[in-house]
Amino acid sequence: MKGNNLGELEELVLLMVASLGDEAYAVAVREELEKTASRVVNISAVHSSLYRLEDKGFLSSEFGGATSKRGGKKKRLFKVTSAGFATLKESKEMKEQLWSNIPQLSFVNS
Amino acid sequence: MIPAGQNHVNRPPALGTFLLRKIYSAELFEEIHGDLLELYEERLETKGKWIASLHYLKDAVLSARNYDLRRKRHYTTQNNSGAMIRNYLKITLRTISKNKVYTALNIMGLALGMAACIFIMQYVAYERSYDKFNVNFKNLYRIQYNFYREGELQFECAAAVPRVGPFMKEKMPEVVDFARAYPLSMVVSYNNINFREDRIHIADPAFLKIFTFPLIKGDVETCLTEPNTVVISETAAKKYFGDEDPIGKMIRADGQYSMAVTAVAKDVPNNSHIKFDFLISYQTLNNQTDNQSETAWGWYDFNSYVLLRDGTDPVAFNKKFADVLYEERHEEEEKYNIRQEFLLQPITDIHLSSNLLQESEPDEAGDGEAVFFLTIIAAFILVIAWINYINLSTARSVERAKEVGVRKVMGAFKAQLIGQFITESLVMNLLSFVLGLVIVTLGINQFNALTDASLDLSFLLSASFWGVAMLVVFIGSFLSGLYPAFVLSSYQPSTVLKGKMTGKKGGILLRKTLVIFQFASSVCLIAGTLIVYQQLSFVRNLDLGFDMTETLVVKGPGVFAADSLYGSTMQTFRNELLQMPEITALASGTNVPGDEIFWANGIKRAEEPNEARKTIYIAGVDYDYFPAYDIRFVAGRNYDRTFGTDTGSLILNEAGAKFLGFASAEEAINQKLSWGRGNKTIVGIVEDYNQMSAKTKPTPLLFPLVTGRSSFFTIKLDKNGVSDLSQLFDKVERTYTAYFPGNPFDYFFLDDFFNRQYNPEKKFSRVFTLFAGFAIVIACLGLFGLSSFNALQKTKEIGIRKAIGADVGHIVMLLSKEFVYLVLFANLIAWPATWFIMNNWLDNFAYRISISPMIFVIAGLLVLVIALLTVGYKTMSTAKSDPVKALRYE
Repeated sequence: MKGNNLGELEELVLLMVASLGDEAYAVAVREELEKTASRVVNISAVHSSLYRLEDKGFLSSEFGGATSKRGGKKKRLFKVTSAGFATLKESKEMKEQLWSNIPQLSFVNS
Repeated sequence: MIPAGQNHVNRPPALGTFLLRKIYSAELFEEIHGDLLELYEERLETKGKWIASLHYLKDAVLSARNYDLRRKRHYTTQNNSGAMIRNYLKITLRTISKNKVYTALNIMGLALGMAACIFIMQYVAYERSYDKFNVNFKNLYRIQYNFYREGELQFECAAAVPRVGPFMKEKMPEVVDFARAYPLSMVVSYNNINFREDRIHIADPAFLKIFTFPLIKGDVETCLTEPNTVVISETAAKKYFGDEDPIGKMIRADGQYSMAVTAVAKDVPNNSHIKFDFLISYQTLNNQTDNQSETAWGWYDFNSYVLLRDGTDPVAFNKKFADVLYEERHEEEEKYNIRQEFLLQPITDIHLSSNLLQESEPDEAGDGEAVFFLTIIAAFILVIAWINYINLSTARSVERAKEVGVRKVMGAFKAQLIGQFITESLVMNLLSFVLGLVIVTLGINQFNALTDASLDLSFLLSASFWGVAMLVVFIGSFLSGLYPAFVLSSYQPSTVLKGKMTGKKGGILLRKTLVIFQFASSVCLIAGTLIVYQQLSFVRNLDLGFDMTETLVVKGPGVFAADSLYGSTMQTFRNELLQMPEITALASGTNVPGDEIFWANGIKRAEEPNEARKTIYIAGVDYDYFPAYDIRFVAGRNYDRTFGTDTGSLILNEAGAKFLGFASAEEAINQKLSWGRGNKTIVGIVEDYNQMSAKTKPTPLLFPLVTGRSSFFTIKLDKNGVSDLSQLFDKVERTYTAYFPGNPFDYFFLDDFFNRQYNPEKKFSRVFTLFAGFAIVIACLGLFGLSSFNALQKTKEIGIRKAIGADVGHIVMLLSKEFVYLVLFANLIAWPATWFIMNNWLDNFAYRISISPMIFVIAGLLVLVIALLTVGYKTMSTAKSDPVKALRYE
């Protein structure tokens, strides 16, 4: 991993966690990815992204209560940290900046 | 709940779970497994068991990509050691302030141990520092002189013959230089200042060069080359010359020899085996002796030193020199059937391990064995102190078990707990070290007074002291912290928190072993001390064969104008003194008991051939010597004034008669001996008495009649004691100075003088006692802590027993029983060990006590009583406490 740059999937996962609010755990994130972004990814890829984002300090996590589902196992619930939000915002602003740089013409042509 | 059967059917493939378990660390496995199970359950409902299982397997296999999460997800890698150490210190301080009694016991014990250790190590370091101030100390040797007759070793002497030094330098290229020093005692005078000086040596010019005795004034190259010149020490310069410049001034020795001061040397350091205030040039002696002091092979009064080239092996040197010597001397030696041997003795070995005839400072001689014992005692004391620490910490582990449990539940790792307890131990050790230094600083004067040592606090400035001390403190903290740390950190939090902790069996065994070790050491030290005292009082009260009570000895006059007048002056002096009612006898002689005899000469029976001549030590006496000392005759008679012929008579001691081959004392009477010029007749044989201390048996002695100048006047005082001693001294001194003007009045009491030979032993026994005391106090501190803890542990049991009706005595018994067993067991170990060690020590004495079993019983009882008192204090208060309170405890 190069510094704290976000990968494409990572950015998506981060956005999903942000949008899921209090219920952001791996399975929910995967479902949301499929539903809103039409991205089908394996659960292990989601795990990979979530834990890496946590290592980078963009996510924080805590255990949620155990349920009778999932064999009574605990869930790890993720939350976007302020650093995570800042990165998301930065990424969005950068993209907007890039968009605004695109000449109107090519915009029409597309 | 899902029914069991259904649950079984709906379980995902075990292989997948197995893989997951392998891939993820334990911390991550549960949550991730949960996620996969959730997906599995979902798919199970929508797509059926097969698809769900396949997906589950696929998810598990693909999870392999997250294998590296195993390492990264360890929550321990956060770097918070700074905070942790701060936390350790905080907890340590809290524990310290919470358990003031335990902490005080712990720190006191450790501090005492460390103080004792510092004292001993400084003392040992001082004893070992002898002669090392000499720049050349590694290559400086004294020549030891061994003398054999008919192949048998006759004596080993620290002083060699005058010829051997120069001879060695001529023949052996390894010798850089040599110096001889011939010790003397003379009365030194300048103007009207007279003192008897004992630290005089006649020395070669090289003496000041091979030793490091720097000069303040004068030239080291020339100051001892001319006859009748003298180098004096700074102290002597002040004593005789005050602020005057001593260089070039003339001093007189024994009233007859004038010598010019050519240099002033710095005072000889205390840790030198040879000490001087005056060094007279060797040439002075050569002029007096017709150069005998240059050529003689038989006159052994010369401390001879050689400086060898770097890297010379003394053993090889000795061997090589033996051959060279044989070449030179074998004809002469074979003629008399004798053999001389000269061996190199490193000067750094002299103070601690040399115990030869004619040592330079016999009363100051260190005892290598004692120093070795002390080092061991120091180590013992420190170990005992650390054992206390271990004991108290493990005993208290039950109390702290809850803390450990909570810490573990909160996520502390074993290594962190160990770190915490070692930090605690380090803090305690450091605090104790500081307190120990305070004890040393405050107690150093008392220590010096008690042990005649001359330690100062300069070691506090030396880097090596701090280096060693810190090393010891750190190693000690680590070792003493390690065991409690492991015990404490290995508790299972669940058992501890449920309150099931009752101390482990193994810990108790260890504690018992440690207590036994402590008390065994204490018994050893007490019994050892008792034996040393018993032996010392035994030798002091031993019938040495002469009477030394109420005996005043005055040193004879060094200065006397005309030898021809001595006899008559002496006669009137004697009469005047005997007029004093307090004085019962006056005798004179070349020696008094306790004064090492240096006068030796060849002697044989008149009928024997010249080759049979043997060397015998000689003490000149006058008519009154033997009666004054109450030395009994076994045969013959004393010298008698009324016999005009007694100058041709001789008296021997029994050992002397045997030495000369007489079958009995009676047989020796009237036999002729060849000694000096012409034959003399044996008129009397005296009983053997101890000329020197009871460390040695009486040796053969010859007592010729000497009526001329003698070294000592023996004055016997009234047996019933003298009411006003100082008045008597005044009278005697006035008489003495009137008859022998120009002589200082030097006197001593013979018993003090004689018993000073036991100074090394006395010193040793005092040091021994002191540290035995230290060891016992420390062991008691530990026992006190342990027993009060024990009582605390059994609070409930005691409460119940009391409620049922047990009385105080019963409970005290219950609580002390265990310790009594331990102390008894410690005795069993200590007794044989002490017997063995002390028996060895006693073998140093020619007259020794046999070790009585009572001593062991006394030492054992003493330790038992001390232990019981220690245990009893806390036990009593626990036993007396209100059972209701006890039962509410916890």
